Amino acid sequence: MEWAKLIGRVAEGDREAFRRLFEHFAPRVKGLMQKAGASSGDAEEIAQETLLAVWRKAAQFDPVSAGASAWIFTIARNMRIDAVRRAARTSAVDHDAELDYLVDPAEPADDAMARNDEADRVARALSSLSEQQSMAIRLSFIEERPHPEIADVLGIPLGTVKSRIRLAMNRLRALLDETK
Amino acid sequence: MSVTHHPSPELLAGFAAGTLDAGEHLAVAVHASGCPTCRRFVRAVEGIGGSALEAVEPVAMKAGAFEAVMAQLDRSPPRPTARADSFTDDDLPDILRHYRIGRRRGVAPGISMRPIELPGPSKSRAFLLRSEPGTHMLEHTHSGIELTCVLRGSFSHEGGRFGPGDFDFGDETLDHQPIVDDGEPCLCLVAMTGDLRMNGFFGRLISPFVRL
Repeated sequence: MEWAKLIGRVAEGDREAFRRLFEHFAPRVKGLMQKAGASSGDAEEIAQETLLAVWRKAAQFDPVSAGASAWIFTIARNMRIDAVRRAARTSAVDHDAELDYLVDPAEPADDAMARNDEADRVARALSSLSEQQSMAIRLSFIEERPHPEIADVLGIPLGTVKSRIRLAMNRLRALLDETK
Repeated sequence: MSVTHHPSPELLAGFAAGTLDAGEHLAVAVHASGCPTCRRFVRAVEGIGGSALEAVEPVAMKAGAFEAVMAQLDRSPPRPTARADSFTDDDLPDILRHYRIGRRRGVAPGISMRPIELPGPSKSRAFLLRSEPGTHMLEHTHSGIELTCVLRGSFSHEGGRFGPGDFDFGDETLDHQPIVDDGEPCLCLVAMTGDLRMNGFFGRLISPFVRL
């Protein structure tokens, strides 16, 4: 199954394609949110909002620069930030997190080729990470698991978790830089 | 512009995951919006987020969830809410246009600031700091974390020279004395973290760097 193609069909208003995306991704967004500490009710709401946004933004999906699941991840992330902001009601400012991830228009315009090139570099770097390294980054930053759990999953001593994460991050950064 | 100082990978990953404190989040967002290298790193972590989504154990949605979403498909989406009305300074990065920025006030000779209203809960406060060329900041240490993103002009301290786009990280282990370089005023976005209650009135927290 090609999720990117389905998103393309959703962009054309295909509800059946949307149903399939929903069935696959909504429970996963919910699962990931719960893993990262959201209550079941909040996770449910974020998952619903995320899929609704997938419907609305499907035309903006650019399969060249991101994979379908990475794109949906960013939508879920933005929805969660918005939910946290709404819950805090600290001020009258109503501000969509999505806006914080935009590229400054003063930056050189990136054409399709440049985007493709960038996506390649990112994909190459990710595939050069060891399984353990990307796992370390995922557990620590995406799933926000405490270090004892990370030690458990990776099967390493608790005392080495921090340095493992740091090593993985530095390697990722080096991989992304050295292809310059 | 050549950016030489970047946020730590930890901050970038936290930004990609959406877990940073609102002030830190803004400082990293402003840097990343103008730094292709850091955006690439953020994209990589988002890619890992995508794999996490594929690998995670799915949790069943509530009965009727799909129908509830379907019922909303035809409603027109709310437009992204942004606040551009409070804001007149053309030289600021685009991202800051979406934030509400307060009036400028002087804090010390040659130094003025404008508070930035953060949209979420935050341990930090964010502000724009404008310093005249040649201003010597008083020697200071940090009682919390201080993130600085240079928007215009430059300053220097033991850590090097920081020009437009550069990102500086300071914490309690640092003891430094920034000097604003000659030529043009230096405009920075600053996000400072610290516990107000633990530190008393917040003037003490940022003083003597800034007197508020």
